[in-house]
Amino acid sequence: MTTNNQATAPKKDKGDDMIVIEDLNKWYGSFHVLKDINLNVKKGERIVVCGPSGSGKSTMIRCINRLEVFQQGSLTVNGIAMIDDVKNIESIRREVGMVFQHFNLFPHLTILENLTIGPIWVQKKPKEEAEATAMKYLERVKIPDQALKFPGQLSGGQQQRVAIARSLCMAPEIMLFDEPTSALDPEMIKEVLDVMVELAEEEGMTMICVTHEMGFAKTVADRVIFMDGGEIVEENTPNEFFDHPETDRLQLFLSQII
Amino acid sequence: MKEFIAKPAKPAPASIVGPVAWLRENLFSSPLNAITTLLFCAFIISIVPGLFDWFIWSADWAGTTQEACTSEGACWVFTSAWSQQLFYGSYTDGQIWRVNLCIISLFAIIYASTVVRADIRNKVIIPVFLILPFLWVILLNGSLIGLTHVSTDYWGGFALNILMAAASIIIAFPLSFLWALGRRSEMPFARSVCVLLIEFFRGVPVLALFFMGSVMLPFFFPEGWTVDKLIRVWIVLILFMSGYMAEVFRGGFQAIPQGQYEAADSIGLSYWQKNLLIILPQNIKVSMPNILATFIMLFKNTTFLLIIGIFEILSTTQTALTNSNWLGGHSTEGYVFVALLFWICCFSMSMISNSIERKLETSHRN
Repeated sequence: MTTNNQATAPKKDKGDDMIVIEDLNKWYGSFHVLKDINLNVKKGERIVVCGPSGSGKSTMIRCINRLEVFQQGSLTVNGIAMIDDVKNIESIRREVGMVFQHFNLFPHLTILENLTIGPIWVQKKPKEEAEATAMKYLERVKIPDQALKFPGQLSGGQQQRVAIARSLCMAPEIMLFDEPTSALDPEMIKEVLDVMVELAEEEGMTMICVTHEMGFAKTVADRVIFMDGGEIVEENTPNEFFDHPETDRLQLFLSQII
Repeated sequence: MKEFIAKPAKPAPASIVGPVAWLRENLFSSPLNAITTLLFCAFIISIVPGLFDWFIWSADWAGTTQEACTSEGACWVFTSAWSQQLFYGSYTDGQIWRVNLCIISLFAIIYASTVVRADIRNKVIIPVFLILPFLWVILLNGSLIGLTHVSTDYWGGFALNILMAAASIIIAFPLSFLWALGRRSEMPFARSVCVLLIEFFRGVPVLALFFMGSVMLPFFFPEGWTVDKLIRVWIVLILFMSGYMAEVFRGGFQAIPQGQYEAADSIGLSYWQKNLLIILPQNIKVSMPNILATFIMLFKNTTFLLIIGIFEILSTTQTALTNSNWLGGHSTEGYVFVALLFWICCFSMSMISNSIERKLETSHRN
């Protein structure tokens, strides 16, 4: 399994730096959550972040689209530096799509409206065009027949696929996944992972995914990052990461989850 | 491999469906429940026939003067003789169609908002709703559009209660949402202004506010600058209502999961888009029962206008009761009639809000 993963995930041309994080520090009050984070993500690169809960992995990726504010260091997304300015934040958010653990679909809107609200209001696209794009992505995630239902009428797996489609409708350069399968029933995890694998392999999307699905990490990731206590403890290719962990902390972590 | 076949569903046993089962479960489930049911039935039997008799059977219905009231029952001649006063106050004869038009426009637009498509509702109905109170003022006043001028001194009756409440609610609704947003704002200045407004208008009794509006406020206006008393009272009602509604909305904000804000942020919606497109509809849904309670409170509070000399329905009822031709002691009929009118309106509002809640509920099946 681990030996041929490079073949199943052919590398697209990895171009320029998509995300550059330098010496990033963040505190919640006096609690130091992120410590000297340095991370470069190239265009088209797929990164899986794992680690125990409370290690700061979600906080780190939430910094990338400014759902969390950091106090020190710098962060650049597709050449745009993150500074405390509304215009700047909006243009970064346009580059970045995010999928949440609890889907966070808008319960008062139909699936189709969930998908078109961003394109119509943020990108000012005509309604017909936005709906056509939405249907295209709903087909990509294999639920075009649910377009007129409300989120509450869908299963968890379907909701998460809609959430992925909603992000894709904004044509982002980068997708962030914050534990996308943790809130799902076991039978639904696969349908969501399949969509994510397809996205990685066919679109060459730049992805950062916080997950504990190690199978996903092995098939899709270019790099796996292990975080603990707010630091990046180890980062490596999946093969090296799982087979030859360098630190005892990662060894312990792997021994407990696999 | 053995095939798994799901068992078919069986019908429920007779002991849990049907009218007898319903009675047993709901009215006679325990000795205490049975006793309560019987006592309540006895109470209804002893009260209802007498009330029915007074209200309808031995009541006087026909006639135009007090002399027509000869029987033991209610004298509805009183209310029918005074009906124009009760509904329209002393609004000029022959111009009453203007008041009716206002009331009809209100009900028409409420009805329209429930039947049209969502995008038409947002683009047409809501803006019309917001300018409606100002159209009423122009129409009822009349001088701006070439109709007979009718001074606000002559506006009155139950129509005034309805229009005053509606006009206040319509303006207070968006205003209170802004206050509630301001209260959650990260800008210290906006936040403190909103907190101050909300706490002031919520903390001071509405009567005190009316007196301030009608008596004190003119002292603060520049020399020679007057604002009609009714308009001042309208402003007071709007602010009072906004104070309450802002807190209702604040409760709604707190019930909306943080994830909704984050999702809206992550797809790049701006602050106003996020709050108006994502948060407001969900907020209204969770706040609906409290919003309705506030509406009803405000509607009933319009009777306080009597104290500052505005001829709303309670005030016209009192005028009718002290009229020398009608000194026969009809206060029971008068006040029962007023109570009934208010009850009918409030109950209808309840029904409408229930149906809105049900309508919103289908989209939230979880």
